[in-house]
Amino acid sequence: MSNTDQATLAATQARRPPFYRDATVLKWLAQVVALLLVLFTLFFLATQAQGNLEEKKIATGFDFLGTALGSDLGSGIDTDPHTSGRALLSGAVNTIRLAIGGIIAATILGVLVGVGRLSSNWVVKRMCSVFVETMRNIPLLVQIILIFVVIASLPRVEAVGEPIHGWLHLSNKGVSIPRVHISDGFYQWLVFLLIGALVGRWVMRRRLRLHDDTGRETYPVLSFAAVLGAFAAVGWFAHPIFGWVGAIFGLVADIIDSLSQTVVQAVISALAVAAAVWWIRRFLARRRTPAGLTKLTDDDRFRIIFAAAGSAVVIVVAVTVPSLSSVLLDLAGGRGIDWLRFDNGFFGWLSEKFGNGRTGAPIDVKRPDIEQLGNFPNYGPSGLNLTQGLAAVYFGVVLYTAGFIAEIVRGGILAVPKGQTEAAQAVGLRRVTMLRRVILPQAFRVILPPLGNQYLNLTKNTSLAIAIGYTDIVQVGQTVYNQTGKTLEVVAIWMLFYLACSLTISVVVNFFNVRMKIVER
Amino acid sequence: MGLPMDPVAANVDAVEPWAGEAEPAQKPEEPSLSARQWVRQNLFSTPFNSVLTVVFGLFSLLVARGLLNFTFSEEREWDAVRTNLRLLFTHAYPEEQYIRIWVCVGTIVVLAGLSVGLLAGRGRGVSMKKLSLNLIGVGSAVALGVVLREPSVLKDADGEVLRDDDGVLRESFAAAMADRWAWWLAAAVLVGAGAALWHLLGDERRRKTFVPSVEMFVALVGLLVASAWVYPWGHYAFADGEFIAEPGRTVAMTTKLPWTVMWVLLIAAIATGRQLRRAGAGGGVRVALNLAWLLSPFVLYWVVLRDPALDWGRVATVDIPLAVLFAVGGAAVLWLLTDPRIGELGRIIATGLVGVAAFNWVAAFFGWYSMLQKVRLSFLLLALAALLAHNFAGERAQRLRLLGGWAAVTAVFHYMATIMNTPSTVETPTEALIGGFAVTVIVAVFTLLFSFPLGVLLALARTSKLPIFRVLATSFIEVIRGVPLITILIFCAVILKLFLPDGMSISLIAAATLGYTFFSAAYLAENVRGGLQSIRRGQFEASDAVGLTGVQRTVFIVLPQALRVSIPPLVGQMIATFKETSLLAIIGIFDLLRMANSVIPAQTQFLGVKREGLLFVCLVYWIFAYSMSKHSQRLEKKLGVGER
Repeated sequence: MSNTDQATLAATQARRPPFYRDATVLKWLAQVVALLLVLFTLFFLATQAQGNLEEKKIATGFDFLGTALGSDLGSGIDTDPHTSGRALLSGAVNTIRLAIGGIIAATILGVLVGVGRLSSNWVVKRMCSVFVETMRNIPLLVQIILIFVVIASLPRVEAVGEPIHGWLHLSNKGVSIPRVHISDGFYQWLVFLLIGALVGRWVMRRRLRLHDDTGRETYPVLSFAAVLGAFAAVGWFAHPIFGWVGAIFGLVADIIDSLSQTVVQAVISALAVAAAVWWIRRFLARRRTPAGLTKLTDDDRFRIIFAAAGSAVVIVVAVTVPSLSSVLLDLAGGRGIDWLRFDNGFFGWLSEKFGNGRTGAPIDVKRPDIEQLGNFPNYGPSGLNLTQGLAAVYFGVVLYTAGFIAEIVRGGILAVPKGQTEAAQAVGLRRVTMLRRVILPQAFRVILPPLGNQYLNLTKNTSLAIAIGYTDIVQVGQTVYNQTGKTLEVVAIWMLFYLACSLTISVVVNFFNVRMKIVER
Repeated sequence: MGLPMDPVAANVDAVEPWAGEAEPAQKPEEPSLSARQWVRQNLFSTPFNSVLTVVFGLFSLLVARGLLNFTFSEEREWDAVRTNLRLLFTHAYPEEQYIRIWVCVGTIVVLAGLSVGLLAGRGRGVSMKKLSLNLIGVGSAVALGVVLREPSVLKDADGEVLRDDDGVLRESFAAAMADRWAWWLAAAVLVGAGAALWHLLGDERRRKTFVPSVEMFVALVGLLVASAWVYPWGHYAFADGEFIAEPGRTVAMTTKLPWTVMWVLLIAAIATGRQLRRAGAGGGVRVALNLAWLLSPFVLYWVVLRDPALDWGRVATVDIPLAVLFAVGGAAVLWLLTDPRIGELGRIIATGLVGVAAFNWVAAFFGWYSMLQKVRLSFLLLALAALLAHNFAGERAQRLRLLGGWAAVTAVFHYMATIMNTPSTVETPTEALIGGFAVTVIVAVFTLLFSFPLGVLLALARTSKLPIFRVLATSFIEVIRGVPLITILIFCAVILKLFLPDGMSISLIAAATLGYTFFSAAYLAENVRGGLQSIRRGQFEASDAVGLTGVQRTVFIVLPQALRVSIPPLVGQMIATFKETSLLAIIGIFDLLRMANSVIPAQTQFLGVKREGLLFVCLVYWIFAYSMSKHSQRLEKKLGVGER
């Protein structure tokens, strides 16, 4: 820039427009007005709600979580919860179980169908596309209710289970299959697995380096699996030697119990400040160029202020709501929470699970049995019992999501450029190797983000259980607010729960997404 | 629920695996294979393939057999669906007012016909090859179904099913096949027609001759309508609580006459549309048609279906003068503000108007003076128009067009505000005016109409450079997308009432529509955002260089391109919303699903009969969702998104 140019620029900058025509002022004015409008609307609605609630003599607050609930739940970790809080927890566990089981099954089925749609076999191709078109074009709720009704029309439970006694029972009360479950010494065995994984990782790295150096096939993944397997096999019998781990956790629990809630408040505040500082420093580091810090825009400043304000809000909440800190303390340490019927906190629970004297097999399998004919508790406690409602939601959600996943998988595979296939063939790769090494890694990159969306949708769709009375968190929440009238609070709990689920899934998917990304230059 | 559309997947019809982006139009046409060659290539090309064919073939036959036996079992009481069709589609809408429903259907048919006549017909239609193959396929499927379905049960003279110790008695397989001669005949006719078409036309003509799809559709509907007059489909109804089932008759006059009229209307509308196109009707007609589509849901629901009892005295003394006042006064203000020479003064006037509009609400909050809500809203409308007016400053003709637009908007707004505030004269035994499938469609359509502008605004706010707007939009979108639809619906149905000021109430359907609108808008905003991000920087720079204002750049340059890119996901969102309307049943609205799941099983004749109704609901949803998704795939190909 020449000197004259700079002079004109300076002159233009010096001649600022009047404030009511200044773009910056107007921009911020508009935003502040919009913000005030939104805040005012929220405030207005809140005062209305408060007035209306007072009129109906309904107090707000989360005290109801500890009060008694007058009804049982059909299924879940606790079918006879004494408090609303425990009932909601039981519902939440049901939702999480449904979601995890559903995600696994829907992924397997969806990938199979998606690959099947690309098969060169006409029958397979047709079957898969009929499946996809049927599942995707019928509302999930209708499917769930239909499955529910069809299960209800199956024959009653007889003395001999149908169709395969002792393995698979189908009846109007649901489905029962063998159950694989964590047993006595599982947690000590877990320590073995952990050590095995570490050693296996070390071995795998060595094999990989050997492969890079010599070009020989060294089977790194296989050797990892072998090491892990060896540790698992030894640990299956030797796990009681880790009985002392529980004592360490017990010690940690005691230390946490001895802390006062002020310490927790201080820790939370410090963490909030640290997080904000870390974020701002990273942000500024990104804005730094070799020539020095670039000029910050309004937007950048706003982001920094926003981060600082966020940490301030966390601190204010931590300080003004001390009960939150004490609940956290109870949850972490060994005291536990009464109304949730947690006898221990987290570390107390760990010390119990890792404790001495657990010498049984880590994992156990039980086959289904029949307890009573015709009436409700007809399947015994041994098998994995999917009650009518659980089976309907589970199969509905799995089939429906599998239809969408199949389309995503198909699209991802088709998105791999044809040149890649041709190049792989030209190099002389076998079909399986080509799929494994060339097509799938590239397809996976396209598939992953929409797949994460489908997992999210599946988790949210389990809430349709409310239509058939399966006790997921939404259905339990409805029971709770029908009894206590605390609709607002229950909706807040729902939202927090589902937002937490969404966040978890997106963090996990993002983790893989970043790892799969093409590294460019 | 997610998007059924996947931009990549939907675009590819290629059959071979890993074929990449095969472009069907450019692919050289392969000559038809002989049946033997086809079977060898597609079913038994390798030993593994042969095994797959046998295993999956058997499996699919088993599934088909199970479905057939389930659907056509003697235990199914399909009468439950047949007699309750009205209930399923309109719930308790009164019999004597049914003409209103037909007017609505007729309006939609006419509009659709006009659109088809005006716009469609450029496609080539269905090739003879495809047609004959489809005929053969359907015929074979019918034949297969006839064989697979288990033999019918034996009945005695009273129609009671005969049983022995093992269960019901069935006729022998040979007797069953002989009994189904009519089905055999139908299958033979279909296969024969397909085969004849195939062999009469040579390979070349088979591929190059096309049957226009519009004509084919109209002819098929015509056949169906004609059969209603001739074939004894049976007369089933549930009139005045009385159960009518007369299998041997043709359908009732109240069914076949309206449908015949609809069919005639459809033909007339298509013909008119084509005539208009041939006569070179330009953008004007198209704009009018689009406007008619846009306004039809409002008019059909609030005017035709509700038949509001207008107080004409009040209309003449209050409503019309108000509308005229706002139309004329607003036009004068806008005329002034669009004058290119007005400069600073225009902004001051516009700001003043915003102040007035805002003050009206403040006054309402403190109760200083009373005012009709519609007047407050009109002031707000005027203030918004005034704020945006300088973007339309220009020549006389352009300004006049803007004034015309203002007058039209005011007229429509005041008309709708008046109509909506007038009670309905159609009396139904239920709280809601209409239920069944109609309410499904109504909620879906209004959700679409409201969520589109909201979604676009949210997307613009989320991509804007202004941080507070961005934070507000982002948090709204992410919170809504993070929670299940049902919790939002429950919030709207149960809790929204708590937030309303005294004296204000909201009907369940309106609350549900609001919930759907929020949910759909959040998803829609993400789709539009994808479109917005696909726009090149150069477009922004170019529009800045020409000196467009921010609003002009957004409305005339950015949005048209962004929306074009996001049409496929938007249609996907539309289908998702349509399917999600089934959740209405959970919050207590009598929609299609609730009819089948709770209302029909509660009737004394059909106690506990659920499966039939639910299968019917599946069918209805499937037909609509499937045809929409097929249409969107064609649309995507036509737009050539991703191919430029």
